[in-house]
Amino acid sequence: MTRPDASDAFQKGFDTQLTRRILHYVRPYLPLVIGGVLLALLISLAAPVFALIQRHAIDAYLSPLALRTEPDLDLLRRGLTGAALLYMGLKVVEFALQYAFTLAIGYLGQNVLRDIRADVFGKLQRLPLSYFDQNPVGRLITRVTSDVDAINQFITGGLVSLIQSSFIIVVYVVIMLSVNWQLALISFTVLPVLFLATNYFRARLRDAFRETRTQQATVNSKLNENITGMLTVQLFGRERRSALDFNLSNRALLSANENSVKWFSLFMPVVAVLGQVAVALILYFAARQILGVDASGAVAGAITVGTLFAFVQLSQQLFQPIQDLADVFNNLQAAMASSERIFGVLDTEESITDKPDARSLTNFEGRVDFRNVWFAYDQTVTADTPDTDERWILRGIDLHIRPGESVALVGATGAGKTSVTALVSRFYDVQRGSVNVDGTDVRDLAQHDLRRHVGVVLQDVFLFAGTIESNLTLNNPDIPHERVIEACRYVGVHEYILSLEHGYQTEVRERGATLSTGQKQLLAFARALIQNPDILLVLDEATANVDTETELRIQQALKRVMQGRTSIIIAHRLSTIEHCDRIVVMRRGHIVEQGSHHQLLEKGGYYARLHRLQYAQADAAD
Amino acid sequence: MDSFRTLIPYLRLHRGQYVIGLIAVVIANSVNLLPYYFIRLTIDGLTGQVDGDPATTGIALGTAGLYALGIVAAALVAGGFMLLMRRMIVVASRQTEYEIRRDLFAHLQGLDKPYYDRARTGDLMNRLTGDLSAVREMLGFGAWQIVNIVSGFITAFSVMFSLSWQLTLIVLALVPVIVGVLTYLARQINVRHRLAQEQNSLIAAKAQENFSGARVVKGYAIENREIDDYRAMNLELLRRNIALTRVDGPLRSFMSLLLGLAFGLILLVGGRLILAPDSTFTVGMFVQFVGTLERLTFPMLMVGWITGVTQRGLASWLRLKEIFDSQALVRDEPGRTDPTLRTVRGDVTFENVTVRYGDKTVLNDVNLHIPAGTFLGITGPTGSGKTVLGQLLTRSMDPTGGRVLVDGHDVRVIPLRTLRDAVSVVPQEPFLFSDTIANNIGLGLDNRDLPPVLTGVSVVGAPPPDDIPQQPDPARVREAARLAGLTEDVDGFPQGFGTMLGERGVTLSGGQRQRTAIARALVREPRILLLDDSLSAVDTETERRILDGLREVSRGRTVILIAHRVSTLRHADQIVVLEDGRVTEQGSHDALLAQNGHYAQLERLQRLASDLDADETPSDEQAPRDLAAPLDPEAAADRLPAAPTPEQVNR
Ligand SMILES: Nc1ncnc2c1ncn2[C@@H]1O[C@H](COP(=O)(O)OP(=O)(O)OP(=O)(O)O)[C@@H](O)[C@H]1O
Ligand SMILES: Nc1ncnc2c1ncn2[C@@H]1O[C@H](COP(=O)(O)OP(=O)(O)OP(=O)(O)O)[C@@H](O)[C@H]1O
Ligand SMILES: [Mg+2]
Ligand SMILES: [Mg+2]
Repeated sequence: MTRPDASDAFQKGFDTQLTRRILHYVRPYLPLVIGGVLLALLISLAAPVFALIQRHAIDAYLSPLALRTEPDLDLLRRGLTGAALLYMGLKVVEFALQYAFTLAIGYLGQNVLRDIRADVFGKLQRLPLSYFDQNPVGRLITRVTSDVDAINQFITGGLVSLIQSSFIIVVYVVIMLSVNWQLALISFTVLPVLFLATNYFRARLRDAFRETRTQQATVNSKLNENITGMLTVQLFGRERRSALDFNLSNRALLSANENSVKWFSLFMPVVAVLGQVAVALILYFAARQILGVDASGAVAGAITVGTLFAFVQLSQQLFQPIQDLADVFNNLQAAMASSERIFGVLDTEESITDKPDARSLTNFEGRVDFRNVWFAYDQTVTADTPDTDERWILRGIDLHIRPGESVALVGATGAGKTSVTALVSRFYDVQRGSVNVDGTDVRDLAQHDLRRHVGVVLQDVFLFAGTIESNLTLNNPDIPHERVIEACRYVGVHEYILSLEHGYQTEVRERGATLSTGQKQLLAFARALIQNPDILLVLDEATANVDTETELRIQQALKRVMQGRTSIIIAHRLSTIEHCDRIVVMRRGHIVEQGSHHQLLEKGGYYARLHRLQYAQADAAD
Repeated sequence: MDSFRTLIPYLRLHRGQYVIGLIAVVIANSVNLLPYYFIRLTIDGLTGQVDGDPATTGIALGTAGLYALGIVAAALVAGGFMLLMRRMIVVASRQTEYEIRRDLFAHLQGLDKPYYDRARTGDLMNRLTGDLSAVREMLGFGAWQIVNIVSGFITAFSVMFSLSWQLTLIVLALVPVIVGVLTYLARQINVRHRLAQEQNSLIAAKAQENFSGARVVKGYAIENREIDDYRAMNLELLRRNIALTRVDGPLRSFMSLLLGLAFGLILLVGGRLILAPDSTFTVGMFVQFVGTLERLTFPMLMVGWITGVTQRGLASWLRLKEIFDSQALVRDEPGRTDPTLRTVRGDVTFENVTVRYGDKTVLNDVNLHIPAGTFLGITGPTGSGKTVLGQLLTRSMDPTGGRVLVDGHDVRVIPLRTLRDAVSVVPQEPFLFSDTIANNIGLGLDNRDLPPVLTGVSVVGAPPPDDIPQQPDPARVREAARLAGLTEDVDGFPQGFGTMLGERGVTLSGGQRQRTAIARALVREPRILLLDDSLSAVDTETERRILDGLREVSRGRTVILIAHRVSTLRHADQIVVLEDGRVTEQGSHDALLAQNGHYAQLERLQRLASDLDADETPSDEQAPRDLAAPLDPEAAADRLPAAPTPEQVNR
């Protein structure tokens, strides 16, 4: 049921530009990074020391070569004890370093994660509504969860082990070469093969990995939509179809996963076998040298048993970081893909922004002027699009509202009434003409200022999970409780709230699931009053689901609220709007007539017909 | 561990794979010890060669070469078995993940409205993603690592024991320490992981709501507060994650520390053994011992890691179990449900129906009979229980007391599918999917003969799923759209019925959304049609057309229409007024007018508004005066801050 998510597809591999931007997030924690790198350096320096201590112990105290020459057993024992103690002491130090390192990196990663999340979330708060119209919530959630996680992984897992592994490799290579360069070179012969194998598998793994990410995204967005719409699915008996559809994606994800397991399961044994090949080579050539040396009677001790043993260990320890690097590259691929999408969000043009010299509204009267406004939701529509294009939603709206005037918008559904009000709050920008508030183009005003002065009761009520009170105040601590109560009295929902067990602290479920639709509407109405729009009140079908008595009561109260305030009211029930100063009738994006109730009735146009219809229906009983 | 038991059914589905894989692990582990055996032989041979003592046996280069080949051969065998293991166990864990996800989805489909009223989407999503992967990790890596560790330890220890029991005892002495520390840390990890996951859920839910409520967030310019909230929640997450790292982090390094200490002790004691006068412990054996012990490094580190993985996995599994354990109250129950009931005529009776939420009574002893094929109107003040009444009919929930009967059968006896096929609802707040308009209208079509997705079975060997036909019959869709008065709007869209909707249908106007929902209900040609305040967002003209259309198709069908406007209700065969959960008036339009009760008052009020103009009286307080308003709005209005007048502002 969900459309394919094109932006979740992967296009790029490694990209220095992206890496630089990721690193940008690390910069504030530079001391942490430097500390971490230092720790990593120390740890990698310590790593080979252990094999060297063992080598020394074997050669100096345990090997028959040492035993042969008049062994002073006490001396040997003392030496052995020293070596053992040093070994254990160093282990304790290594433990401390390792722990410190883990904490430092964890702290770094968590902080970066938090920063990126805050940035993405903040950016999403600034993006215009049209962005939310186009992007399913599930996809946006992915941006602030798993995509951010992937970058965190890259920094903690990837970047750090990239540094650490590189250190370790260098340290080991140097030490092995200095201990015995012939044996070192012999064991290195395996490395080119290892590199080739790693490279080969890396490419396969990357492709497999991309596929899993894409499939996972599909599965997630289907889950999201199915969970939110589950009750509808059930009412329409669509469970099986949804299940089949979901199963399709779920299976595709499984196949993708199996495919990556396939490559990974090949990769690991190949590396392990190569490691043992290196050991075998070392064993054979060391044996040859030891045996050869003795046979020819040349200098003994070119290779000792201790050296042989140390090499076996060192070569195996060298393999670990090389394998780790392969992992790093995979991490990096994932991070690249995720960061591309995250930066995609961060780079989205904020088509609705405050101008640098945006005016703030201090002196607000409440005058609203639409000057020949042409508007379409489709952003490919520009000012040059011909007038006849069917994508235009508003076609040349001219509407001038005086301060303190109440204006009603009526007209068939889909005529563009809600769209007109959305433009006043500047949820969208117009393609032609301008919307002015107090004579200033809304595009020249600071958005926050503008919207703080406009109270909107939306056609679709949205309540947050929280308490009734938090929904009314929108978590603004400055709003006194009395004010909340007053507004609720006003719309007649106070008594109902008090009848609830926890009163104003009653829990509200997601989207207000446990309230009746009318109650939600009343709460939304009260919310608008509490937020105190000083001047402009926009009511979009604010009482459509409310019973007549309550509606009349609200209207009665509204008269006072509307004094001194400009108001725009949309309603299909004509009784709701008759008392407005002016009624504007819209049809297909045009204003077809306007005037007071009586003028319009006299005119005998569309409004009069509507009125007759409603009147006739109500009257036919008599 | 108890929580683990509940996972066993899933493991059992892949018994074969796990057994083969685990045997492969054991073999690979044993074979893996061979290289050090060969190394020991070589070293002992070499030391024998070089110590000049003719009593010790030396070694020829050819033999050393054979040993080297032996190492490679052993590695190949071990590698082969490791490959087999991964293909078995890791694949099995992925398959289990698929199965759990499939079963969770099916389970979620069976849960009812009371569950979803409480659930938070973001939280559910977090469980189905984050927690599920934690469980999968436990099953995949966890399972083979545990066997890997156990078999690795057993084989290694038997080799070590044969080499030197003294040294082996030293190593064994560490075991209690390991166990003690692990148990302590494991408990900590379990608790802290759960805390972190809970915070993750909260954050996901917060983001979810913020994004879906974007219109409110922007409309009231509360973005900054939202950002602050979100930041604070993430700071808390950071704290919890760091707390987790504090106990999770030292696990690995701690194991490595213990192992290092063991090495040191072995060097100390083992060295003395070699140096002892008539020692049978050779350097070669020492090297093999250390090498074998070193083979345990990885399993040892894994012990730490695996403790973390299983603890996280178990904690997460509990969170998934919570979903599995939530039972729908509304469901088919063998024994109660009568599967022979296939058709519905449409005769509806409410019998002493009571609904309570907590101690709040929402419906109180409602009795109502709606003969098949008749038209019932319901009205009543906000919150009087109209929607709840409708939800009982579709069994979105069951009443606290009393019965709802359809054709004389308790709805709890009728199979849910039969019932919901027969009843079509236009909900008060319809949910549309981000799909084409045509698919949205056809939502309830052609669902009957689809095969179910089997749950609780293994995916191994299951054929790839077939594509499912998606397109509903365009002619029926078009006809339903016409009846719902939607055709004109849709034809105005560049893509017509193929127009994609935004999530929840946000790219439609309120009235268009409502009419799409009406069309969606009509297209199923239901026996019973329930419209819940479904004309509230359309203009009078359109409403008139829809009502006419409705009359056209509703012949022989039971129609229940909830509305606030008398004009909408007047043609009903029977009208019911609900007040405070009770039926207070009942009868035809005319009968109710004659009763001069709430309905008559409603009619008067609504007509009055129109009459005002007829009388040419300027709209003043005359109408509302009629309202014996218990909460005196004017008094309240007096206290509410009036807006500053323009003059004041201009000063
Ligand atoms: N977010 C959006 N994206 C794209 N198109 C939209 C969006 N919102 C509305 N439209 C389209 O714009 C047109 C006008 O919609 P609008 O919501 O302004 O109508 P309205 O007059 O308020 O109708 P109603 O009385 O049904 O609420 C409709 O055809 C609708 O499909
Ligand atoms: N899931 C629920 N949990 C608790 N209370 C609920 C739940 N659903 C409904 N209610 C309460 O039951 C009462 C009746 O609700 P219902 O939705 O039936 O009202 P309604 O008559 O449809 O009102 P409206 O005209 O506003 O749609 C309300 O007070 C509501 O708060
Ligand atoms: Mg609208
Ligand atoms: Mg309702």
